[in-house]
Amino acid sequence: MTITIDKIALFLGIVLMLIGLYGAFSLKSIIRIILSLSIFDTGINVLIVSLGYLKGRTAPIIDGDKVTVENIFNVAIDPVPQALVLTAIVIGFGVTALMLVYALKLYQSKKTLDINQFSDLKW
Amino acid sequence: MVSPFYLLGVGLGLGFLLGLTGKNSKKYTSAITFVAFAFFVFFSISWLIPFALKQVTETLIYTAGFLPPFSISLSVGFYEAVFSLMINSLGLLSILFLWKKINSESNALGGIILVLFMTLNMLVFARDIFNIFVWLEIAAISTSGIILLDKNKFSYSAGFKYLLASSIISSLYLIGVVLVYFTNGTLFLNDLITNASGVTMSVTAVFLMLIAIVLELKPFPANGWALDVYEGANPAIGAIMSGGVATASLFLLYKFSPLLDNKFSYLFVIAGLLTFVGSNLFGIKQDKANRLLGYSSIGQIGLLVAIIGFRPFLGDKFEFIAITILVSHFLAKAGLFWLSDVIKQDNIKNWSVLRRKPLLLVLFGIFVFSLIGLPPFPSFFGKWELIMMLSGGYKFAVVTIILVGSFIEAIYLFRWLGYAIKLDFSELPEYKFELNKIIPVVIFGALVLGAGYYAGNLICLKTLNYIPLAFIVLLYFIDSLPAYIKNTLSILALGYYSYLILPNLYETDMLRFIFAVIFLIGGIITLVAGYAYKGKRQGFYPVALLMYVGLALIIQAQTTLEFFFGWELMTAGSYFLIIRGKKSIEHGLSYILFSIGGAYAILAAFGLIYAETSDILLSSLSVATQNITLIFSLLAIGFMTKTASLGLHIWLPGAHAEAESDVSPMVSAILLKAGVFGLFILMIAMGHNPEAEQIGLILGWIGALTALVGNLAAAFQEDAKRLLAYSSISQLGYILFGLAMMTHLGWMSAMVYSINHFLYKSILFLTIGAVVLKVGTHDMYKMGGLIKNMPLAFIAVLIGIIALSGVPPLSGFAGKWLFYNAIIDKHWYFQGAIVFFSGIVAFLYLFKLIYSVFLGQLKDNLRKVKDISVWFAIPIYILIIGIMIISAKPELYLKPLGTMISGFYPNGELSWTGGLANAPYGYWNGSGVMITIGIMFSLLFLWLWSLSRKAQKVKQFNIVYAAEAPQRPETTHISYNIYAGYYKSIGWIVAPIFEKFWSTMTEWIHSVSDFGRRIYNGNGQYYMTHILIYMLAFYFILMH
Amino acid sequence: MRNSFLIILIAAFAWFMYDIFSEYQTQEQLNKTAAYYNSNEPSEAGAANVVTAIVVTYRGLDTLGEVTVLFLATLIIGFILKNKAEKIIDSKYKTSEILETGAKVLVPGSLILGVYIFINGHLTPGGGFQGGAVIGSAIVLLLLADPNKIVSHKLMNFIESTSGFFYVVIGILGLIIAGGFLDNRIFPLGKLGSLISAGAIPLIYSFIGLKVGAEISGIVNNINETELTDKL
Repeated sequence: MTITIDKIALFLGIVLMLIGLYGAFSLKSIIRIILSLSIFDTGINVLIVSLGYLKGRTAPIIDGDKVTVENIFNVAIDPVPQALVLTAIVIGFGVTALMLVYALKLYQSKKTLDINQFSDLKW
Repeated sequence: MVSPFYLLGVGLGLGFLLGLTGKNSKKYTSAITFVAFAFFVFFSISWLIPFALKQVTETLIYTAGFLPPFSISLSVGFYEAVFSLMINSLGLLSILFLWKKINSESNALGGIILVLFMTLNMLVFARDIFNIFVWLEIAAISTSGIILLDKNKFSYSAGFKYLLASSIISSLYLIGVVLVYFTNGTLFLNDLITNASGVTMSVTAVFLMLIAIVLELKPFPANGWALDVYEGANPAIGAIMSGGVATASLFLLYKFSPLLDNKFSYLFVIAGLLTFVGSNLFGIKQDKANRLLGYSSIGQIGLLVAIIGFRPFLGDKFEFIAITILVSHFLAKAGLFWLSDVIKQDNIKNWSVLRRKPLLLVLFGIFVFSLIGLPPFPSFFGKWELIMMLSGGYKFAVVTIILVGSFIEAIYLFRWLGYAIKLDFSELPEYKFELNKIIPVVIFGALVLGAGYYAGNLICLKTLNYIPLAFIVLLYFIDSLPAYIKNTLSILALGYYSYLILPNLYETDMLRFIFAVIFLIGGIITLVAGYAYKGKRQGFYPVALLMYVGLALIIQAQTTLEFFFGWELMTAGSYFLIIRGKKSIEHGLSYILFSIGGAYAILAAFGLIYAETSDILLSSLSVATQNITLIFSLLAIGFMTKTASLGLHIWLPGAHAEAESDVSPMVSAILLKAGVFGLFILMIAMGHNPEAEQIGLILGWIGALTALVGNLAAAFQEDAKRLLAYSSISQLGYILFGLAMMTHLGWMSAMVYSINHFLYKSILFLTIGAVVLKVGTHDMYKMGGLIKNMPLAFIAVLIGIIALSGVPPLSGFAGKWLFYNAIIDKHWYFQGAIVFFSGIVAFLYLFKLIYSVFLGQLKDNLRKVKDISVWFAIPIYILIIGIMIISAKPELYLKPLGTMISGFYPNGELSWTGGLANAPYGYWNGSGVMITIGIMFSLLFLWLWSLSRKAQKVKQFNIVYAAEAPQRPETTHISYNIYAGYYKSIGWIVAPIFEKFWSTMTEWIHSVSDFGRRIYNGNGQYYMTHILIYMLAFYFILMH
Repeated sequence: MRNSFLIILIAAFAWFMYDIFSEYQTQEQLNKTAAYYNSNEPSEAGAANVVTAIVVTYRGLDTLGEVTVLFLATLIIGFILKNKAEKIIDSKYKTSEILETGAKVLVPGSLILGVYIFINGHLTPGGGFQGGAVIGSAIVLLLLADPNKIVSHKLMNFIESTSGFFYVVIGILGLIIAGGFLDNRIFPLGKLGSLISAGAIPLIYSFIGLKVGAEISGIVNNINETELTDKL
């Protein structure tokens, strides 16, 4: 098996996901949990981008120099994952912002950020 | 057709503009949003109509003018339009419901709700899997926004847990989407369905997407976050989540369902059934209304997930089943959540405040019924078809699981309904009756009724008769009129119905004719006693008529579906009648649970029959040849819950004893006969099967033991109505015994007992009920010496007990005489001995009844008591005349009975010479015996009377007390605990082993529920791990 | 106990990921969708940046969804935090001289850079979201330098709402006069690679840029104005 950049990225993405998950499951502070989930999301985004890679190709932007209307088919990588990842990032941003504001309000309600303290609703 | 993008344009455009409006225009937000939703609904209808009329077929709509998979496309078809209409109408009514709230909050709220519902529409239409991801996220975000409608620490923590869970779930979905793209090169769902790659990575990718959508639907046990949201958020938000978000997600699952291969169907079925049973089980222990609704909602959705998993099995019935069950759930759950917000009570015990506005109670009842799947609501038909189709596919284990789950659901829903109907609410706070909150609930209540009617028409091709049900609705609307008007109307209605069906039945089917007479004519007679009640008697007539309609439908049923429909209606009506009694809350619950359990046994049996014969005609019972033992046992158990045979009898004493005075005869003398009728239908079928002999033997034993235990227990009662109730148990034991013999004479005796039991038990219950109304107690030791105050009642009871005890000359003897002939003929000597012995025991309690109540010393406080009400006396004496006629001329009814039974058992019939009946072991002339005894009685009476003239009259107080006040007044009554000696020696026979068995069962279920629900420990972090574990568990089970 | 359980869970997830990617091969050929985009986009949508064409036109509905996500996030955050009408000026929030001076220099430049990025979104790597994010960070910088600075909510709301509204209007126009919802060919495609080209894409991306910038600023502004001592 040859090591190519996409494989490295893929591996890194998965590692980021695992780190994020572990953090989200084990840390007690709500802010840290949010950050961990953000890391998890980033891992997924790296994974998405790496899946669009084609060996030895470049970005799908016609600059009239390296990439032209004629050769774009042969020199550019898959543009779809890039479009998808843009959407995923923006959505992740929205969710993270919302969670942080939630964290703010949770802190105001109990003066703590320990997630164990927020289990009034159960069973 | 309007493009769905206009919906998107209206939703988003208005949503964006609402952000622009300043604080001053806040008060118009509701109106603006409402208009937007009106457009949404209009769009949905404009799509639905052409599809419903089949003018157009499903169409794909492209964006940006490029073809999919290169651009995002939407699809609009009939089911899309249906779902969109459901979602949008919920949105419209939600805005109405939240009108004031939206106006008082910042205008953001209206915008968020608008965008949420627009998104739900898009989720229904979208055909691009990444686009679905985007809409899923938007739905999650906007949901997490409206959760904060009530801003308090509960909604904050619930919303945060929701965000945590949904971010894990949507990440799983996103990974699935990207992998699908990587392996298949497309994001277009239709491409994926026609042409999915078979490589492992692609299969895993599809798995990830599917499990993520399943997780969106809150599968048990990875659903703690959802429960917390249901509990913590405003109930109106619960309505949106349960009715709107879950409905849209369910449609997603439906969209993806063509991707299911065997493995994935398995996933859906397991996840769904596990959720249905597990969620309902954990709900049992729950007493917070909104959380309980959450459990129920999750359970129902679980059932629907399983149904989608069974799509290949259900064939062309799939859509009907799924939509009926979904619509019932959707309307009922939204309605219940709204009700919860109207009354603002979170403890289910406090839902009794519903009674402040009877309309709300009725709506509550409608919603509960439609959740459980009782007729005439759509889910009844859906569940029926589901059970039939699954049975037809030999999925008996699944049928069992679904029925068990439904039963568990019925436990807590009926307990809740019982609380609402019975508990006291005088201490609880008032609530506002705001029109904008009531209208949505009323609309959904009306819709679920209408949907039931529509579904019924779809399935039975209009053979079901809805006119009686319409009459019941009418009765409800005139419920504020005085009781005597409604009583007259009800009697007229029953009379008219009898006139419609009885003559025809007399010609065609004697068996049904006899039961129809018991049900309908008996109904009229017992209703006469209703004139004794003053005031309005609210709620009585609709439910009483509901029971009679159910009974009539059972008689008229040609198919198993009609039979089951009638059976459930009858059960529902009688439940409401029973629970009207004073201390009936527990008895009502145990009655309905036994009945529903029994009904499900019957349903399962019908399913088994359908599996073999592919036919739902009642006559196909006789055709079945496979699984005979199971089918007959299930049916027998089902019917025996109604006849209260030993082991299934524990609901009866309390239910009958606590019922109102004129209800007791209805539920005892009349209702129990429904079980007998069912047993007749069963036995007719069994007669065709030699294998059924075994079951007959067992049923015979059960009957004999029921007779014995019932009579013994009756003898030890101090409560007059309880005594009669136990007596009913034993009488029904005789009937079961007679039926189980499956011979001509056996059936004769069962039939004679049925008719006679109807007559004398009506008399006894009516009389004792009337006495109870006068003296104000059921306890016999508080009565005594009433003979002079109540001669009419005394004579009635005397005749009643003579008839019941089966001594000549009254009609009960006919039953006994036939009975012993039949026993000897059948060679069932052991059982016969038991029955004979229990016949002797009957004398003990009958003596106690008349002696304790009417003879002995008159109590001080009853000295001025008057005789029973004339409105009770009239039906009682009509029935007595009936007894007298059939006692004097027994051939009047025995001959037709013999002819009828000869149709089933031609051998061993009675031979008649005039009024003289000949059986193999003796002969009997009813008229002769009557005359002889009449003469003997007159002579003895005259002799005694002549002697009595010499007697000296002694006043009651012409005795000397020892100047001691008794500590326990009841001990001064001579017949108190009169059979204590017997109790010491044979009391163990009536030890409450069955009561213990059932209460242990109940406790056990409760403990399991209480233990299990502790996995929902309220910590959002744990909930995230639950989700991941759930996904991994399914992955390793399914893929390896 | 709990920790070792978590490690097992994460290990199981790692195994799951390994299961998926153990057969992974680097792609050699574009798949049919990517091949279609790379060969037809220049003539169909006319944007030099293929990704932009996909984001704004082919998968424009996703992008509308993204905008909605941000819009919702601002709406909800505003709804949760419920700003007061008047901001309390509190002099105890003082920042350093360097930050204040740096902000004065950098903020105008950042704003212009942001605008440049979204206007050139169809030509260069960049676009509405990226440009908007730059604008947003300029505002963040402004607020970091002077927490008592008043950023007008009305203005933010106005920019956000109108640009969002016009985005939808352009989408509907596509439905009416061109091939479908969000079709960029409501305007002529122009010459590939020039600033005024690719139909409606630059216009849409500008609206997106303005909207995203306003939204990010709004979120930060909202949080900034909420004091931690607020009662619920």
